[in-house]
Amino acid sequence: MSSPQPLNIEFIKDGHGRLALVDTNGIRHANVHPAKLFPLTEKDLWISIQSEASREILCIEDPRSVPEPSRSVLLEALGRRDFVPIIQVIHRIVRKADGHEWHVTTDRGDTTFEVETDESIQPLGHGRLVIVDRRNIRYLIPDVASLDRVSKRKLEHYY
Amino acid sequence: MTDLDAGLHFRHGLIVLTNTRLLNFEDAGTSHPSFVVWKLADLQDLKLEEMGATIALQLLGNDTLIAQWRVTSGSLRQAEVFVARFREQYRLLDGEVAGADAGDKELEEDEEEIFAAEDSEADIPPGKPLLRLLSFARPWYRLLFLGLSLTMASTAAQMIAPWLTMSLVDDVLIPLQSQTERVHVHKVYVFISGLAMAAVLTWALNWGKTFVVARIAERVTSRMRRETFEHLQRLSLTYFNRKRTGDLISRISSDTEHLSLFISVNFIDFFCDVLQFIFTAIILFSINPMLAIAALGPVPIVAWLVQRVREHLRGGFAAASRAGSQLTSVLADTIPGVRVVKAFAQEQREIERFRVADKHIFDTNDRVNKTWSFFTPMIKLLTDIGLLIVWAVGAWSVAHDTITVGVLTGFVLYISSFYERMDSMSRFTASMQRAAASAHRIFDVLDVKPEVPVERNSIRIGRLRGEIEFRDVKFRHGSREIIKGINLKIAPGEMVGFVGPSGAGKTTLVNLACRFFDVSEGTVLVDGLPLNDIDVTDYRRNLGLVLQEPYLFYGTIAENLAYGKPDATRAEIVAAARAARAHDFIMKLADAYDSMVGERGQQLSGGERQRISIARALLVNPAILILDEATSAVDTETEREIQAALDHLVKGRTTIAIAHRLGTLRKANRLVVIEEGRIKEIGTHEELLQSSGTYARLHQAMMEVNHT
Repeated sequence: MSSPQPLNIEFIKDGHGRLALVDTNGIRHANVHPAKLFPLTEKDLWISIQSEASREILCIEDPRSVPEPSRSVLLEALGRRDFVPIIQVIHRIVRKADGHEWHVTTDRGDTTFEVETDESIQPLGHGRLVIVDRRNIRYLIPDVASLDRVSKRKLEHYY
Repeated sequence: MTDLDAGLHFRHGLIVLTNTRLLNFEDAGTSHPSFVVWKLADLQDLKLEEMGATIALQLLGNDTLIAQWRVTSGSLRQAEVFVARFREQYRLLDGEVAGADAGDKELEEDEEEIFAAEDSEADIPPGKPLLRLLSFARPWYRLLFLGLSLTMASTAAQMIAPWLTMSLVDDVLIPLQSQTERVHVHKVYVFISGLAMAAVLTWALNWGKTFVVARIAERVTSRMRRETFEHLQRLSLTYFNRKRTGDLISRISSDTEHLSLFISVNFIDFFCDVLQFIFTAIILFSINPMLAIAALGPVPIVAWLVQRVREHLRGGFAAASRAGSQLTSVLADTIPGVRVVKAFAQEQREIERFRVADKHIFDTNDRVNKTWSFFTPMIKLLTDIGLLIVWAVGAWSVAHDTITVGVLTGFVLYISSFYERMDSMSRFTASMQRAAASAHRIFDVLDVKPEVPVERNSIRIGRLRGEIEFRDVKFRHGSREIIKGINLKIAPGEMVGFVGPSGAGKTTLVNLACRFFDVSEGTVLVDGLPLNDIDVTDYRRNLGLVLQEPYLFYGTIAENLAYGKPDATRAEIVAAARAARAHDFIMKLADAYDSMVGERGQQLSGGERQRISIARALLVNPAILILDEATSAVDTETEREIQAALDHLVKGRTTIAIAHRLGTLRKANRLVVIEEGRIKEIGTHEELLQSSGTYARLHQAMMEVNHT
């Protein structure tokens, strides 16, 4: 992506810690929230800013086009909403009566989660794998091939 | 030629065309076979006319009906050919070029032949399709050769142990026991270690054999699977319409699996058994021909008996599996239809239906178990009898000092290992038949020619302007003429709506425009070029299709949107989704554009799926757009959303839209009313309303429905 056109917009964090947007026309939208268009395949680009009523106000193709300090405010707000742990090491996958239990190390620390069916492990192409657990949390393996050998072997039984 | 009489009873008749005359024989019962002759010069025309399930051949002369014959639709093709020949001959005669050398053209075919190709699955000779399998193994002939050598070696290795035992008994054990001569005890160690080595050798060779053979089997079946699927993808839509999806799936998945099993297990086992038989026979004869004859003599008889028993069992097992599939079909019927069952409070009836099916299984299995429990030990008994004969003859020979105890031991070992294999050998015929049936079912798919053939010298095209012209287009499906002559020219960028009752031929016409089918007569021209001469792939790249039932593949939404253009950028994908009014609902999904949809994915509503399929068509930016009932499956509110999405899509493209909801067609430049394969009316909405024809009537009916 070439150097993005700077956008004439501003993000402000209001007193309640909520995000507000001042758009190109200077109109202020309170309590907006950012949402990623491609949360699993292109998580750093394509951010939609949604109004309180979940209507899209605008869509930012590249957050780098937002001038500082607004960009930091936006990215911080995004970071607060966005929770897709990236699995780095698979320690154990235990088969249970109704699914399996995964013991993993993610970029957000060690955790254990339960997966219901094999369908909860979805390949997204290019070696990317997303695992949806019982609580509907998504875990991402960005590239199966770059996992360590032991983790890969454990994964092989399920995918 | 004809197979019905005037009263539509099955009766054979014959119409024969010679260069100057037309003859008719009719087998009118036993007494008077009738025979009529006409001179071709006195005749006018021979016409085919459909009359329900049967067809009438009408002979005209002097503007009157001279004769009429009836045939069943099975001989339609034959009749068509005959009529064509008749016309050709008639023209020749008319042009005074009465070809004296044309000779008699007799058309006489037994209709049985036409049907013969149909249900031959049961009694195909198993050899042919299985031999054809070999052609699939050709790329791995080296591996194949290795596999065969290993098989031979491993079977030969199995022969060593009994041979050693023979010497062990004669040279060591017997002398040891009788203590008549001095025995070297170390000989025992030699023989024991020899036996151990033989065992290890057999193990190693068997391992290699199994590995290599499984490898070959996997490669051959994988190639079959791939080729069958590739071939399927090239077949025309008509083929898929005729076949059940489940049947095609099972051909590619389970039939190839059967073949793999056959090659890697059944066939190799059989091959080993045969080899073993030959080796055993050679060894036995070389030791003692007399005893060999006694030992091997009963083998064919026992083999035949085992075969008979197995045959008997197979019938029972087949009945059991049929009963099982009946039960499955009850389940497959009831569980998806559970809403209907409950709505009509018919649970009890379904329970009863299930009970009957279950009882049937129960009874069949009981019967099978009865036979099975009797016959399986029976096989054992037969082989034991075979062994007994060897023992008897052997004991007698030992008593008469013609052979040693060691030789007898060797014989018994050879023969018993041989009889052990008898049971598995007897299974071979069954597995061979099954494999042959599987191979036949696969080749059956592979042998279907694509009905829309790929022309070798087809014209490569880039982007089309989008002019479509139907010129005297006719289309016949079986005996039914669906399109009966359509002339229509659609200008580039024009939107044309096809209106008409169901079964009028609207979808067929669209399928012809897409070249899913080829026209029977006439031509479809695109940008002035005959469609048949254009490269199909090039042409379809210019085509966008939105169907009544939008199909989403298993994958993410982004992947589904980019289906027709895999290299689309994310910006293009998002833009297309926005234009199709799909962006907002996509953003509400948990993973937005990365959400999984399709059979195993997230459930989307009909309208949402439709908007995704519209975005998909938008993304390829087609020159020609086909909308086949794109809005008929959704509610009015959703229709409005889809309508807005469609308005985007239609702009600047040649569009053919089929719709029952006339509202979808309000932007159409022209409306074409089609009835019974013909164009009834053409005009704008207003014009057609004023002429108060079919369209006006349809419109009136629509309005009434909407107002109540």
